[in-house]
Amino acid sequence: MVDTAPAYRYIQERLGVDVKSTDAATELASFGVDSLSLLELVFEIEEKFGVKVDEDTPPPRSCGELVALIERLAAAKP
Amino acid sequence: MSLRRVAVTGVGMVSPLGATAPASFDALLAGRSGLRLYAPADAPKPLAVPAGVCADFDAAALFGRARAGTLDRYSQLGIAAGLEAWRDAGLEPASGEDRAAWGVAWGTGVGGALVFERGYRDLFIGGRERLPPLTVVQAMNNACASHLAIQLGLGGSCATYSVACASAAMAIGEAFRRVRGAAAPVMLAGGSEAPLAYGVIRAWLALQVLAPGDAESAALACKPFQRGRAGLVLAEGGGALVLEDWARAEQRGARIYAELAGYGESCDRGNLVRPSSEGQARALRAALADAAMAPQEVDYVNAHATGTREGDSIEIAALAEALGARAAEVAVSATKSAHGHALGAAGALAAAFTVLGLRHGAVPATLGEAADLDPECAGVLHVTGAARRGAPLRAALTNAFAFGGSNAVLAFRAHAAD
Repeated sequence: MVDTAPAYRYIQERLGVDVKSTDAATELASFGVDSLSLLELVFEIEEKFGVKVDEDTPPPRSCGELVALIERLAAAKP
Repeated sequence: MSLRRVAVTGVGMVSPLGATAPASFDALLAGRSGLRLYAPADAPKPLAVPAGVCADFDAAALFGRARAGTLDRYSQLGIAAGLEAWRDAGLEPASGEDRAAWGVAWGTGVGGALVFERGYRDLFIGGRERLPPLTVVQAMNNACASHLAIQLGLGGSCATYSVACASAAMAIGEAFRRVRGAAAPVMLAGGSEAPLAYGVIRAWLALQVLAPGDAESAALACKPFQRGRAGLVLAEGGGALVLEDWARAEQRGARIYAELAGYGESCDRGNLVRPSSEGQARALRAALADAAMAPQEVDYVNAHATGTREGDSIEIAALAEALGARAAEVAVSATKSAHGHALGAAGALAAAFTVLGLRHGAVPATLGEAADLDPECAGVLHVTGAARRGAPLRAALTNAFAFGGSNAVLAFRAHAAD
């Protein structure tokens, strides 16, 4: 399985928060994430794993959803 | 059609001298330099030049990290200056009043150069195939203006002027015309620039107009009007004014810093880089005529003077042509000696400093060696050494002269402090 640490480091750097140890229900919006910055965030995570999120996948809204997305992408990476 | 008077009711600034207008103005009057040796990060070859960096500016603290990451630095600097001016004018970010006719006039020369450079690096060096999804909307030259309009609910004209080093001065001039002609009761006008990208610095070096300097000499590397002048110093920054219909400003009890009384523009129509005193003098005369201002009324000129060999003396010749005998009695200083040349934002910094100078009866000095004044630049009252304080000013001009030959002059009148 791929190392997820760079993705979490990037988010820490970008949002100033450790999403893994934050309550899963916490909205990303509470860290100032809006629709534009979310686009940028998901793009960078995709780049870290070299995979693309399926376009039907709804964008993550909470810390828990963001962590789930990262773990799913990492697992999907051959 | 009767013309309205135009009041300056708010001032905002982020400059190499400070992260706010008051901090920048205090540092300027104290004679401090905001210039230092700058080495861009991730440069493929070593590079260090004197530059004006807004070191006190903290975008993450101002916008939050997530939002700051969606903005090119030129927008960060501009939004910060614009919002400061807005608050300074006593206006709320959003309110119940109808702002459908209010607008933004902004200036920038190179726009989102840092985002462009990051993108090229990713594509050509990093071998990436995809660019970040916000690349277009971060890098576009009107991004900053639109962010300000969105945030402040300004529904009228939202335009960005890209006229090299005259960008912000022309934006302020065009905004002035809209308020004076009653097209808008309030306009936010200014400009911002973040040109300290590796490729942009290399391009300016290639033109051979940058002042050399090392860690020790960088602070005084920009020497306008002095014999030892060897070029300009690039800088980043943002500046903004709130321009308001005078009657409206009085009615709401706003503090009026000064009156923006006239705007003149011209084109040298001669050479892309060599300025013409004839062209500049036409802009100066046009501004005076527009303001119904006699040369005798002018007490201060914030010169464009960037510290280049040819440009500085030509500007003095233009002042002599336009002001006649009065030129010898007019205080002149080049504040770029302290904050560098912020290109498309330069006119906004000059306007902001000049408006504050009119308000406080203060004239900043040109930094450097007073004894080294170039006889070729004689003919005006150069303010050197220390700033002049406690000297009431009646009126002042700001010059912005661009590569390409476009000239813009703003004419301000003092307004007695309440």
